[in-house]
Amino acid sequence: MFYSFRSKIIASFLGVTFLVGIVSLLVGGHLLTKSVLGEARNRVSQDLNAAREMYDNRVRMIEVSLNITTLGYGFIVALKEKDTSDLVFRLGRIAQYGGLDFAGITDEKGQTISRIGSHSIPGKKSQSPNPIVTLALEKKTLASGAVVLSEEFLNSENPQLAERARVDIVPTPGATPAAEKVVTSGLTLSAGVPVLHEGQLLGVLYGGILLNRDEKIVDTVRGTVFRNEEYKGRSIGRATIFLKDVRVATNVPAQDGGRAIGTRVAEDVREHVLEKGERWTKQAMVITDWYITAYEPIKDISDKIVGILGMGVLEEKYVDLRWRTLASFVLITLAGMALATLLGCFLAGRIINPVHRLIRASQQVTEGSLTPDIGPVSSGEMAVLQNTFKEMVAAMGRRRAESQDRLVLSERQASVGRLAAGVAHEINNPLTGVLTYTHMLLRRKDLNEEVRADLQTIAEATERVRKIVKGLLDFSRQTKPDREQVDVNRLISSTMSLMENQALLKGVGMVFKPGHDLHMVNMDRNQFQSVLLNILINALDATKPGDTITFSTANSPVRNEADQEGIEISIADTGCGIPSEHLNKLFDPFFTTKEVGHGTGLGLSVTLGIVQRHGGTIQVASEVGKGSTFAIWVPLEGRVK
Amino acid sequence: MKILVVDDESIVLESCKRVLEDCFEVIPARSADAALEVIRREPVGVILLDIKMPGKDGMSLLREVKEKWPNIPVIVMSGYATNETVEQVSRTEAATFIAKPFTPDELVDAVAKVIEKEGKP
Repeated sequence: MFYSFRSKIIASFLGVTFLVGIVSLLVGGHLLTKSVLGEARNRVSQDLNAAREMYDNRVRMIEVSLNITTLGYGFIVALKEKDTSDLVFRLGRIAQYGGLDFAGITDEKGQTISRIGSHSIPGKKSQSPNPIVTLALEKKTLASGAVVLSEEFLNSENPQLAERARVDIVPTPGATPAAEKVVTSGLTLSAGVPVLHEGQLLGVLYGGILLNRDEKIVDTVRGTVFRNEEYKGRSIGRATIFLKDVRVATNVPAQDGGRAIGTRVAEDVREHVLEKGERWTKQAMVITDWYITAYEPIKDISDKIVGILGMGVLEEKYVDLRWRTLASFVLITLAGMALATLLGCFLAGRIINPVHRLIRASQQVTEGSLTPDIGPVSSGEMAVLQNTFKEMVAAMGRRRAESQDRLVLSERQASVGRLAAGVAHEINNPLTGVLTYTHMLLRRKDLNEEVRADLQTIAEATERVRKIVKGLLDFSRQTKPDREQVDVNRLISSTMSLMENQALLKGVGMVFKPGHDLHMVNMDRNQFQSVLLNILINALDATKPGDTITFSTANSPVRNEADQEGIEISIADTGCGIPSEHLNKLFDPFFTTKEVGHGTGLGLSVTLGIVQRHGGTIQVASEVGKGSTFAIWVPLEGRVK
Repeated sequence: MKILVVDDESIVLESCKRVLEDCFEVIPARSADAALEVIRREPVGVILLDIKMPGKDGMSLLREVKEKWPNIPVIVMSGYATNETVEQVSRTEAATFIAKPFTPDELVDAVAKVIEKEGKP
């Protein structure tokens, strides 16, 4: 019983801590995920913006370097005179300064006059279309931006470029299945500047960089945006340029170590970015790692979506952060639970120990001690309990002393009564003799006056003695009942406790079966107690060790002749029983089976008298060898006068 | 007329005899058995019975007498003259009750009353 109390306390503490821990774990974890990953996403978005900026700047750089050239006088002259070698030289210089992969100059019709690269002076055979030039001529102003150039064109500019542009498509899980196996076009950042002199269009200066397999741009982006930050030995940032949905320039590592050129983008990205032209952020598995990625469409000079610009941040760093935080939550919860267990133990002890002691003390009281040891007094409610317990035991002790006194008193009263009755009877016999002979003497006629007078004195004195004896007899019993409302169950309990020790010594058991909701009875408590005691004492005399005397009470369904309600009291013993020839003499005065001097035979007759004076009856049932039962019926309201 | 006096105390037997012998033949009996013997043997007019006697007690003798010889009136004597005993005795079939110690007059009155009642059918 004690262990379950202690474990209940500990269990509830643990339960609370655990619950709190779980809740904060869940809530905290959720908030953490949202904020950390949210932050990461924001970051990637911003990184994409930065990349875009850088991309745009590159385009501008190309623009600027071309533009400035067109303003040079020497250049204009060379163009006018179609001095191809000079133009080649100049183009070379522009390309060098601008870091261009290709550059060329066309005439006013768009025919390339000169270019850097192998076929520097092209022939008149048909040339591949040059979209940037076409647009510049059309708009008659500077055109710049992304341009997809065919393999042919690239080849004619510089076969190395065409070769560089060639990308084998690598099958990628998660991407849309593709029909093509190879990318041959090149994604370029180009610009075309119409050369005007004195209002006359002379030609178009064009140039650009091939993005396919370009490492400078993507690495510069990574360097600038991510500042080459690393986590667990890997760069956390990635930049990619896609031509359609194929990676053509990237620093995403391939499985074999190099760059993942030729791999494709996931289907949902392709759908959202390439087809719908939206910006798209997601957590994605890129080759082997999880990234938080952001993509936006690359539009060419005719505003057509031709590719994707993508940025990715290694998720691992953030994921690890989240797990570490959650782990510390868990640790805190565990620590809390350990603390709760300790606290629970301690607290339970503080409550249980005084309770333990009180239980032991109660057992001591049951065994008879009136000075039980309840240990040191605690504080608060426990102290109140302990003090109340002490008072209760003290009150018990007082009541026990009182009832002992009362027992002694009533025993003494009873024995005085018995003594008085016995003495009175003994005296009355010889007194009869004295009285009769004195009176007989007084009847004689031959007495002289003196003798007569003396005899008279004797007669009067004898009369006095008679009166004294009668008074003594009357005194030894109070006949007038002193009525009050009595709880008969309690009366029986106290009667039983009066004879407890005697019964114990005799080895006879006493059992009480009190009736429920027993009505109160209007009776003389002391007289009725003597009734119960008398029957109980007789029962004790009739029983031997191992026998039992059983008291029971109940509200009676029977009414008496005066139609009064009453209660039944039954005293049953398992003693030697009463022989049937004695049964109808049982209540006769002076009936006794004891020897002279050992019992007056008055007990049961007096008992019956008391019960009858209360308006009740006594019935006896008995069987020799089995035992006897005395059944008392007494009305609630006492005898009707 | 013969009066049977039953009491275990000889002083009581003698006192009764002394008081009644002028008018009656008083037969003493010390015990219930002796009393029964007398009743069986001789025609007894009145029985004076002490209600408390050891052995066969007075009450049972009273019942037996009333059973077997219902016409003989019985006067019960007792050293315990309380209201209860009077009550209890009055419920029996005793003719009357006198309490010890009694004066000769009281005894004679009791006997006279009983005989008078007996006379009336």
